[in-house]
Amino acid sequence: MIDVKELRKRYDGQAVLDGVSATFARGEVVALVGPSGGGKSTFLRCLNGLESFDAGSVRVGGDTLGPGCGRSQGAVLGRIRQRVGFVFQQWHLFAHRTALGNVIEAPVFVRGLGVREATERGRALLARVGLSHRESAYPAALSGGEQQRVAIARALAMDPEVLLLDEPTSALDPERVGELVDLLAGLRAEGLTMVAVTHEMRFARELASRVLVLHGGRVIEEGVPDEVLTRPNHARTRAFLGLDRSARG
Amino acid sequence: MEQPWSWATRPPHTWRWALAVLVLLCAACGHETGTGLERVRRAGVLRWGGDAQGGEPYVMEDPEQVGGVRGFEVELADALARELGVRAAFVQNDWSNLIPSLDRGSFDVALNGLEVTPARAGRVLFTRPYYVFQQRLMARLGDARITDLASLRGKRVGTLANSQAWDLLLRVGAQALPYEGVQEPYIDLEEGRLDAVLLDDIIAERYGQTRPRLRVVGDVGEGHYAIAVRPGEEDLRAALDAALTRLARSGELRAIFQRWHVDDDAEQRMVDWTEADTKALLADTSTAHLGWGQAVLFLQAAGVTLLVSVLAMAVAIPLGVLLALARLYGNGVVSRASTLYVELLRGTPVLLQLYVLYYGLAGVLRLDALSASVVGLGLNYAAYEAEVYRAGVQAVPRGQLEAALSLGMPLRLALRRVVMPQAFRVALPGVTNDFIALLKDSSLVSVISVVELTKRMTITAVDVRSWLVPGALCAALYLAMSYPLARLARRLEARLERG
Repeated sequence: MIDVKELRKRYDGQAVLDGVSATFARGEVVALVGPSGGGKSTFLRCLNGLESFDAGSVRVGGDTLGPGCGRSQGAVLGRIRQRVGFVFQQWHLFAHRTALGNVIEAPVFVRGLGVREATERGRALLARVGLSHRESAYPAALSGGEQQRVAIARALAMDPEVLLLDEPTSALDPERVGELVDLLAGLRAEGLTMVAVTHEMRFARELASRVLVLHGGRVIEEGVPDEVLTRPNHARTRAFLGLDRSARG
Repeated sequence: MEQPWSWATRPPHTWRWALAVLVLLCAACGHETGTGLERVRRAGVLRWGGDAQGGEPYVMEDPEQVGGVRGFEVELADALARELGVRAAFVQNDWSNLIPSLDRGSFDVALNGLEVTPARAGRVLFTRPYYVFQQRLMARLGDARITDLASLRGKRVGTLANSQAWDLLLRVGAQALPYEGVQEPYIDLEEGRLDAVLLDDIIAERYGQTRPRLRVVGDVGEGHYAIAVRPGEEDLRAALDAALTRLARSGELRAIFQRWHVDDDAEQRMVDWTEADTKALLADTSTAHLGWGQAVLFLQAAGVTLLVSVLAMAVAIPLGVLLALARLYGNGVVSRASTLYVELLRGTPVLLQLYVLYYGLAGVLRLDALSASVVGLGLNYAAYEAEVYRAGVQAVPRGQLEAALSLGMPLRLALRRVVMPQAFRVALPGVTNDFIALLKDSSLVSVISVVELTKRMTITAVDVRSWLVPGALCAALYLAMSYPLARLARRLEARLERG
């Protein structure tokens, strides 16, 4: 589904991504974990071209994104972004649109769907995330959890094949995390590919089929959650997970 | 001939002290009746107001003497001062404000091609005239429609506001357009923006008849230049009258005219002039009164102000948005060009821009006055709108754009659907502010002969000899336009806030 080769990016002389390669298969749910500053979010943003990179490539289906973000890549970017949805850490709902307005904006103006059809589908998506009663509320009036679910509905409205989630649990109350996990588990059951950056190990354990550990701009370890999160091979992973006291200091 | 006054011949310190004390005294006691001559004598200086921009041959800057002036009126002032036993000192003052400045005491007399009109005669004391001029009508060479005064009905004719020519034109049903300079009406006549120009023969000879594409239709009336003295200073007027008569009789007056090539047979009447002639000339002090007719003119002028402002804003807003987007999202060249545009248009006076657009580019770009006003103000305000929108766009969190892009929107669509609507909310108070400023700035277009509200006010104020009522009416009309606009904008802001 997504094939990343040797991604490199330097920022202020510092290597943020130092040759990351990874493959995400259809229907897979992958958790990106690792210490802060390890390049997780930057890597995720590279996957749909929100962030440019210096070297390497990102292939999504038949489209390949190269270094830089020149105008020549506009068409490629457009196609990739329609296949790869993104849920931001701070959701970034369109402040001047209602919940429903947020969901139907892209289908109408990017896909060219009729407003009536888009509205019908938008309502169904809001119902799915449990927000039918909030469709005419503006983002400022929605709670954090509600905003996140609208953001997920907004991304799903474009029928993406892949959903990227940046720190989906970080701004949620602990009791809301369970609801989110249930919602994403439902999407996983329908075969949606997901890649999520997370600090929440319970989230990774319950949802992910695979875990990648990023540190210093490289993938230092990967495997199934049970393996990586309980018996990591790499000292850095053990330190990060708090399993190895000696490596901590 | 006496040397014109200059720093080289400045008075000794004691004189300057006396002058300073006198100025303070005058400021303290305001107008005193009958002390005009005394004051001039005590100061030893006859301060005369004029506008060196009026140019050759009246008063102009002396190229050979920094700060000095020359012209036939300079020589006349020097001769008059000598007759009074004092020195003449020129005071530069905008021509259209000579009378108000005289009123408030900026100088002793106004002497600068001031035509005796009933409205002026009712407001100041005029001396006997010193010059007779002809009202000269000019048209384009090939234009046979203009034959005499009567043929001007419905035609666009340029002249000076508040002159006899102005009244004459209104009486024959011509569309009179007010100018402040002496070159501009002839340029507009050549360019076809006017059908005819009616101005003093002195002006026509120098600024109109030198243009090969124009012709003299004929002289359709005459007028007189006289010196204006503050009301109540009859003694000063009497002294000037006597001095003028002496100069005329001695032949010095016409000698001055000859030196400046403004002498003609008609000037013999200045030599033979009697007190009875003066009485007859100044008898008519009839003043226009503010009536419904004037009110209609004010409303029309307000309509012009509103039209120019609305259309200019309609040019400024889209152009401003484009400039802001070009600066923020364009490539290097486009972005720099946008910055350059903003700095250039914002950093130079809009008055200058209007002049360049209307007169400077007249050869390439033939705009009528109203279009030039709209385009000029629009282009200028676009620079301000660009900055307002740029601030608005920058106030929209970057995440909004990223969210739009991540849904597959191309940059343009994302800007149009997501960023700009939110930027508009931020920009709205600034845009409202600019629009209200534009309403008032639109008065600048009077320099290219558009009669809008402020120009209408000044024309009427001179006609009715009072600034109070026309001024109040003018202010009320501006407020009547800007206040509802401010209210509307506030309501819109509140609605967007709720939204």
